[in-house]
Amino acid sequence: MAGQSDPNLSLFSAEEVEFIAEDEMVEIVPNLRMDALNFICGDFGPFFPQMATQVPLWLAVALKKRGKCTIRPPLWMSVEKLTQVLEAERDSQRVFEQLPFHYVEISRLLFDHARDDIPDVYMVRSLVEDIRDVRFHKVETNLETLNERALALKINNLSAMEVNIVRPFIGRALQAFYKHDSPELIPDQERISDRRPQVANNAARRHLRR
Amino acid sequence: MSQAKPISKVAMKVRSVKLREAHKAAAASANNGRGSFCSVLWDQQALHLVTASSSDPSISIHDPLQPSSAPKILRHHRDGVTALAISPNSTCLASGSVDHSVKLYKFPGGEFETNITRFTLPIRALAFNRSGSMLAAAGDDEGIKLINTIDGSIARVLKGHKGPVTGLSFDPNSEYLTSIDSSGTVIYWEIHSGRTLHTLKGIAPDTGSDLSVMNVVSWSPDGETLAVPGLRNDVVMYDRDTAEKLFSLRGDHMQPICFLSWSPNGKYLATSGLDRQVLIWDVDQKQDIDRHKFDDKISCMVWKPIGNALAVIDVMGKYGVWESVVPSSMKSPTADVPNLQSKHSNGLLLFDEEEQGLSASGSLSDLGEDSHGESEPSTRKRLRKQSAYDESLDEDGRDEWNLPPKVESRKKVNHVHKESLNNRNEGLRRITTSASPKMQEAFQPGATPVRDGKRRFLCYNMVGSITTIEHDGYSHIEIDFHDTGRGPRVPSMTDHFGFTMAALNENGSVFANHCKGEKNMSTLMYCPFSTWANNSEWSMRLEGEEVKAVALGTPWVAAITSFNFLRIFTEGGLQKHVLSLDGPVVTASGFKDELAVVSHVSDCLPSNDQMLEFRVFNIANGTQPLRGRLPLTPGSHLTWFGFSEEGQLSSYDSKGVLRVFTSQYGGSWLPLFSASKEKPDENYWVVGLSANKLFCIVCKSPELFPQVMPKPVLTLMNLSFPLASSDLGAEALENEFILNTMHLLQIQKRIEEMAGAGLDTASLDDEAFTMEAAQDRCILRLIASCCNGDKLVRATELVKLLSMEKSVKGAIKLVTALKLPYLAERFNSELEQRLLNENQGTKQTILPTSRAGVGFSKNSTSAETKETSEAVIPLSSPKLTAPLFTKKTKSQEGTKFGIKKTEQNQTPLPDGGKEDRAKNCREGERDRGNVSSTIKSSIAFMKSSDKQEVKRGEEKQVEAHRPSNPFRKSSIR
Repeated sequence: MAGQSDPNLSLFSAEEVEFIAEDEMVEIVPNLRMDALNFICGDFGPFFPQMATQVPLWLAVALKKRGKCTIRPPLWMSVEKLTQVLEAERDSQRVFEQLPFHYVEISRLLFDHARDDIPDVYMVRSLVEDIRDVRFHKVETNLETLNERALALKINNLSAMEVNIVRPFIGRALQAFYKHDSPELIPDQERISDRRPQVANNAARRHLRR
Repeated sequence: MSQAKPISKVAMKVRSVKLREAHKAAAASANNGRGSFCSVLWDQQALHLVTASSSDPSISIHDPLQPSSAPKILRHHRDGVTALAISPNSTCLASGSVDHSVKLYKFPGGEFETNITRFTLPIRALAFNRSGSMLAAAGDDEGIKLINTIDGSIARVLKGHKGPVTGLSFDPNSEYLTSIDSSGTVIYWEIHSGRTLHTLKGIAPDTGSDLSVMNVVSWSPDGETLAVPGLRNDVVMYDRDTAEKLFSLRGDHMQPICFLSWSPNGKYLATSGLDRQVLIWDVDQKQDIDRHKFDDKISCMVWKPIGNALAVIDVMGKYGVWESVVPSSMKSPTADVPNLQSKHSNGLLLFDEEEQGLSASGSLSDLGEDSHGESEPSTRKRLRKQSAYDESLDEDGRDEWNLPPKVESRKKVNHVHKESLNNRNEGLRRITTSASPKMQEAFQPGATPVRDGKRRFLCYNMVGSITTIEHDGYSHIEIDFHDTGRGPRVPSMTDHFGFTMAALNENGSVFANHCKGEKNMSTLMYCPFSTWANNSEWSMRLEGEEVKAVALGTPWVAAITSFNFLRIFTEGGLQKHVLSLDGPVVTASGFKDELAVVSHVSDCLPSNDQMLEFRVFNIANGTQPLRGRLPLTPGSHLTWFGFSEEGQLSSYDSKGVLRVFTSQYGGSWLPLFSASKEKPDENYWVVGLSANKLFCIVCKSPELFPQVMPKPVLTLMNLSFPLASSDLGAEALENEFILNTMHLLQIQKRIEEMAGAGLDTASLDDEAFTMEAAQDRCILRLIASCCNGDKLVRATELVKLLSMEKSVKGAIKLVTALKLPYLAERFNSELEQRLLNENQGTKQTILPTSRAGVGFSKNSTSAETKETSEAVIPLSSPKLTAPLFTKKTKSQEGTKFGIKKTEQNQTPLPDGGKEDRAKNCREGERDRGNVSSTIKSSIAFMKSSDKQEVKRGEEKQVEAHRPSNPFRKSSIR
């Protein structure tokens, strides 16, 4: 896929998407006693040992790195649930299963930092990867059906990472279709695009000419 | 020997017993030898007679009512049939053969079912247990196989006999199996464990290689005695449990007995000897009552299940029915049949699902008939005619209803079978316990029971946990703190003592073990976590005495022993006190200075209620501040006992009710949590509690205890009173209201204590103030819901409970908004009353108030005496002390206002009224003070109390939305 091969073309880099995902809440079990933390994004805690509490992922990872907590993997990150999702994904060609918007990033972060807190980590990891592959493949095959009559594209339950990859391509593809479909609009379109930021404009044009 | 034997009857019977040819091959083989062992049996309704011979591969099912008609022949074996058995409900026939196989048939149809097992040598004996779920088979092989009749699995192989096993008998209670071999050795087996209980060598005649005669054993139908042929031509009775010889029946047999059979009621015994006689015995009288001489040896006999008859078969394969065996003057052999359990058990279900599914009608009639017969043991009408079948058809409809659950139960019979054995044992145990309810054993709070091969908690509390696992005779103990940052790191220990209890706090841990044997002494060991001296752990050995419970506090260690001694040690191991307790200890818990011990008061009630008593010792002062009975939910026992984070005594029982001790009503236990109101599939394993929350580990039912791995996570549960469901529909609010009241009282008590000890109560005052504010908010919301629910009287009661004036005003606003002008008027008059009382109270209560002031804030000593300072005290903490005032001034006011009651015409609620008065006093006093001079007072205030207090006071005003005081405002202006 266009976006997957060339990260420069996507709107955000993978790291940026991950950064956004770090604001998702996860449950941790701290092993220290600590007063409440007051941040711009909100107040978390107070923390009591062995009592589960909700914190953003970035805080969880930070605490985990210092050995101050264990992260409880979210409910969807269990082998049963993921197996279910994977089967459902494989069964239907068009529909995407409901998964957290940031499932790729969350699972990645947890695999990197909290391997010991996830039961059956290898299984879970391979399941998540399988699900991701199946879904990307589905997106790709679905995009093949994109034709000149399409004015817009609606895909439900697409996750952040997936949408980040396909968005530039779809945008440009639709634009191209539109352009080729009605040649009289080309100057018009270009005039409009002049007002847009220069970078995006250039990138789009280069791609289309290729 | 019976002298009164009617000879005429014997003569009559000689005519009556006619033997018919059943197995000609037997007779044929008999010509060249000694005959062959033949078997006979009745089905349960006595509708069929089944015969077989060890020299004939066919099994015959005869109809005793039509003896001349041809029997139904089952030819499935390839060699002689040596053993027959029928399931107790007569749905299943089993046969064992010289061809090494055991086959099952449907009965009475005779359809071949399955080869349920095979041996390597001929089968000699078969027996069903009473429920029909198990078949025992044995023969020349070395082992006795116990076969699950449902799935054909081999439940057990019992090995112990040295020769061919010729007889098997299940004890009617299905606890034991006895077997006998051809050398005369009898073995008692315990079925559920497969162990040999007793081996009786050579108590029966050695039949050697004579295959026409087989040694047999037989349990009496009540299961109390076992009949075995004896060595002296007699029958010897052995005891059920001890296998001791009880008595023997000796009489006219000239040669050893080769077969015996109990009558269905166990009153009579039929024996056949090698001397070709059959004798009938009255077992109770130990006398033979009748006899019959046959042409050949009788190899098998069986009493008719219904009626007074005995079926016999001889070694030539000839069978017959001896009618009216027992003289009519005596009790019938089927009267008073002992009714043991499991008449209707899964033995009914010996056949496959398809039978019930596909050919429902056929099988239903079979099953129906049989089960019907079971429920009516003596239906003689069946014997009348062949048409018994037809009769049973109309009952099928009824029996049909019984089927589904049975089918279900069959699927896990393997399981059920074992369970049923266990259950029976448990049942017995339960019977013994219910006969005399048991006092609960001593336990440590926060300990889990031993699990094989798994780590378990010796102690789990809010500080950390101590776990242990036994491994190769010694244990590994690990101590973990929940707060890894603060707690010391304790290396894991190898424990050679096998500690079974432990307690843990921040400073150390104490361990103790139970005596395992006589040599093993009970040891108590204390390990401090951090100490300045090396080797500061210590241990004590208690000779002849066993530690039952341990507890830990700062700085003491307590152990309660089997002698009901409470031994108190210091942290360093000094033996400080030894006290004698009243009763056997249940558990103990420590918190700082305080040790709480629960002990039995008496044996428990017949209703299985434990009678427990608790007492609290203050170790530092050497006092016993509290003592009383420990309440429990009826029928439950104590499962956790300890202190809350704040030091409140708490208990949790097996019915899931948490109780907290309070000083209210002279010291009472409040039920603060009930597991039954929570999710039904969860069990709560209590770890601790704070003022508002219960800390517990949630275990999914039926699990009662948490596992060590994965690390359990504490769950917070809200405390709640078990309130009745009121018409208001605001349980949460009502609950909050009561909880707040309780907390307020607790705070006040502590303030009093602190003040009594001359300590600073400022922080507690703050707490009390925020609590009061919260309480007022709660009351306001309750008023709102009362108004919505049209409970106006309740609303006015609530208004009187409001502690702040602002709240009363808020309440007035609320009811005005709700368009209840009448109520608003009442509230207004309530407010007016308050203001009025204030002014009245001012004049009289200045002196008492100032006196009371001494009580609650001693820190402001210098200013106390000054007139001006009177304004100061309330300024520093005006509202918070209201309830305190109430208490202090109650008595004084009582006397002072006693005279002026008419003038005051107070509210009917005495408490509320007094509180109001107290408030009024204060307000009025402040009024005066303010009027006199604000500046002065503020200066005095600065002098009297430190600056922080001022700040706090101000903060409080901002934070807690203190009601604006009209008087003060005016004075500031």
